[in-house]
Amino acid sequence: MNTTNKLYLIALAVVSFAFSSCTSEDPVSENDGELITDVTLTFQEIDANGNAVGASFDFTASDSEGIEIGSTPTVETVTLTKGKRYEMSIDVYNSVASEDITEEIRAEGDEHQFYFLGSAFTSSPFLSYEYNDEGAEIIGLKGIVTVQQSPGFTTADFQLLLRHALDKNYPGAENPNFQDYAKAGGETDLDITFPVVVQ
Amino acid sequence: MKTGILLTLILLLGFNIQAQDCSLSIRGKIIHLENNEPIEAAYVWVIEAEEGAVSDQNGNFTIKNLCRGDYTVTIQYLGHKTITDTIKLESTTFSKTYRLEEEAVGLQGVEVHGHRDAVQTTTAVSALYGENLMESRGENLGESLKRISGVSTFSTGNSISKPVIHGMHSNRIMIMNNGIRLEGQQWGAEHAPEIDPFLADEITVVKGAETVRYGPEAMGGVILVNPAPLPTKKMSKTSLNLIGATNGRMGNVNLVHVGGSDKIKGLGYRIQGSAKRSGNVKSPEYFQQNTGLSELNLSSSLGYSSSKLGVEAYYSLFHTELGILNDSHTGNLSDLENIIENGRPFADGEFSYDILNPKQRVTHQLAKLKSHYHISESWKLNFQYGFQLNHRQEFDKRRGDLNDKASLDLELYTNTIDLYVNHTHKNELSGTWGVNFIQQANSNVPGTGVTPLIPNYDMVNTGFYAMEKYSKGPLEVEAGIRYDFRNVNTARYINEELKTADIAYQNFSAFLGGLYHISPDLTFNSNLGSAWRPPNVNELFSEGLHHGAAAVEIGNPDLKSEKSLKWINELQYDGKRTHLEFTAYLNPISDYIYLNPTGEIYTSLRGTFNIYEYLQANALFYGFDFAGSYEFTDKISGYLKGSIVQAKNTDVDNYFPFIPSNRMDWGISYDFSKVTDSRTNKITISNVLVAKQNREPDFDIAPPPSAYALFNISYNKQVNIGDDKLNLGLQVQNLLNTNYKDYMNRFRYFSYDMGRNVLIKINYEF
Repeated sequence: MNTTNKLYLIALAVVSFAFSSCTSEDPVSENDGELITDVTLTFQEIDANGNAVGASFDFTASDSEGIEIGSTPTVETVTLTKGKRYEMSIDVYNSVASEDITEEIRAEGDEHQFYFLGSAFTSSPFLSYEYNDEGAEIIGLKGIVTVQQSPGFTTADFQLLLRHALDKNYPGAENPNFQDYAKAGGETDLDITFPVVVQ
Repeated sequence: MKTGILLTLILLLGFNIQAQDCSLSIRGKIIHLENNEPIEAAYVWVIEAEEGAVSDQNGNFTIKNLCRGDYTVTIQYLGHKTITDTIKLESTTFSKTYRLEEEAVGLQGVEVHGHRDAVQTTTAVSALYGENLMESRGENLGESLKRISGVSTFSTGNSISKPVIHGMHSNRIMIMNNGIRLEGQQWGAEHAPEIDPFLADEITVVKGAETVRYGPEAMGGVILVNPAPLPTKKMSKTSLNLIGATNGRMGNVNLVHVGGSDKIKGLGYRIQGSAKRSGNVKSPEYFQQNTGLSELNLSSSLGYSSSKLGVEAYYSLFHTELGILNDSHTGNLSDLENIIENGRPFADGEFSYDILNPKQRVTHQLAKLKSHYHISESWKLNFQYGFQLNHRQEFDKRRGDLNDKASLDLELYTNTIDLYVNHTHKNELSGTWGVNFIQQANSNVPGTGVTPLIPNYDMVNTGFYAMEKYSKGPLEVEAGIRYDFRNVNTARYINEELKTADIAYQNFSAFLGGLYHISPDLTFNSNLGSAWRPPNVNELFSEGLHHGAAAVEIGNPDLKSEKSLKWINELQYDGKRTHLEFTAYLNPISDYIYLNPTGEIYTSLRGTFNIYEYLQANALFYGFDFAGSYEFTDKISGYLKGSIVQAKNTDVDNYFPFIPSNRMDWGISYDFSKVTDSRTNKITISNVLVAKQNREPDFDIAPPPSAYALFNISYNKQVNIGDDKLNLGLQVQNLLNTNYKDYMNRFRYFSYDMGRNVLIKINYEF
């Protein structure tokens, strides 16, 4: 066998290999890991000493479809009582991949922070918020919500914002009602507006 | 006395004859018989007139001031058979293409000239080579090609730019990597062409519709990135490029070695490698965070050619990892609105070479085997096989472990086979008939944790084509026809439900072109070509979130193929001191596919997003390009380039988005070197003027940015060290550190463009 023939054989082998490796793979169903389908706010009334009073109750915003045009999230109305203090904890869940995202947010506490905006916290607020997270890092997974004794309104909007990859040292960023949050950089992971009613 | 009168009479007669008939010329092009590449420095001699000429780098020659009559022309080039031709020169200028055949006898010590790749087309063609290409070194393909009038870029930040020819980009134009159509994920706006400009010694832009020659999708034009032909004689040459830039603190190195074998005649090789690293780009007032880039490219080829047979093997690797401007990754519509209102990133940033999420990692490999065989003196059989593997990974800013996983991970395999015959006949008819086969498989690599934006698919495209060209005197006429059929099978899961589709497309395309040498200096060419493009898989099936645009894009599986007709005319004047090129085109397209904002908003727990859908409409593109240069004196010369393109949706009478605005570029050069010295020693000051895009679409998330003017300076000097050549270059781009935004840069929503950049370029050839 001379060199030319050998070359042709090698070429033929390469071509046939390339063709056999060249059909697309069967598709695989992906669980959207980044998706957030359920956000739950759990309120536990507390007394002046910080002790729990009565049973806790919660309100949920959910969007089971993920990215599917036409569906809109279901958001429950938050109902609170005038003059009371609550410990509010936030749970974030991905029902598509059955993942608890709360833990991930806690683990990456230096990159995440919740902000509490909307008419309930700004302009003429009847709610006030302080961060009360377990570690040193301000995240907002846990905090204290105080309802005014005699608010001028009884309904308002409670905008819950989760910012990711922000600069936590930006002046003002430690304020839970920081309206210029965009200036601290980063992007929005959650932006839900709960209607609030105080009784 | 009598003798005197007679002499005067003869002289007068002679002058008369000269005045009337001695303004004729012989023009021609000299190319290699084997590969149609032009031959530079071939010697042409007209025996009767005792006049000679040497062909230029495009293989062209002109012998002027000839009288009417019969002439014998000889054409000689070392290592090739001499051609002797008899020409009858009558009232018009004579023009002919000569094909030189390589001689079997080997000649030692012949230097192979870097000849240019000829596209045997009658369409308007512009090329970037020599000094201009040298000046563009260090830039990516898109940026380099901006030097050609009619070509601009569609970019995403400063590291991703796609070439735009006459308002068309992505899948509406085609890029050929050494003869193989580059098959990457070209559909994405932020998907740059996967090719290293360093592998080319000439980049050619064909501005006409070239579907017949190159296959579907070559609607707006074709970009040919071609390395120099391999040596066929003994030789050894190495070229080293070192480039440094202040902005982004960029370093770029390229090494090419070309060699020809001593032992086996006709055996030659080339190896080339380049590496590039840069960090955060600086806008005049701040650093753009996470805009670093790392690139590593290789290419190599090995070839053998004899008088009958030619074989070439080629491999190229392109690998890049690049950061995407941090601030462009917005969470939802209000994030996007916030940054647009701010007009620039919120933070000033700092310099860093780190490439973090969001980022892209792309590897493109191409292997090719090409062979030709001379069946007879006038028939040549060609075979070309190409294999490509494109691996694209896009990483988003995500939570926890997901940060290490790509959110888009695509593997695209492409096989291309070309089988064609060329014939060249003495009766001035030449042509190509062939079949072209493309097979493609796209797979989403599982484990991204994101529902794939585009499905897995298999595509098969088969095309048959024939082209013929007739040249007679100053006229060349060319026509061609092609038939293609394509089959696409797709499959993917959405919400755990398998969705499949099987779609077939077919189309005829044809072209008719002509070229006429009005005078030896003036050429006119006109080309009318039809072209088509089947919808892309993303246009058919995409369904997902686009973080950069806070948009949800919805595909439409019922889209039809786009069909276009492009009529392009070019007038070229090549005088002693003046060079002028004027191009005008008209390009109606039926069923033009575009992304249209629906005006609806999608709400999720993440916030709200604009919804876009793919629609089809009839479109009309038209415009003009011009390029001219003039040598005022031996020292001072100037150039002027510009282009205007209009793109209208004729169904609803509005404009399409992301079409380049009017632009113009002019400059003045001063040459320090003596007239007799061929070494470069030149300074150029240039000014780029870009108008505001007043032909704006009805909807855009931000208005078009204002017009801007940039000043650039470059100084180039060539030094000879023995037989070696050293080229030194110093360039300053955006000299005045102007704050500007370009309409064609998608990141104009988030940031100003690049500030001042000082580059040092060293090229050493030994």
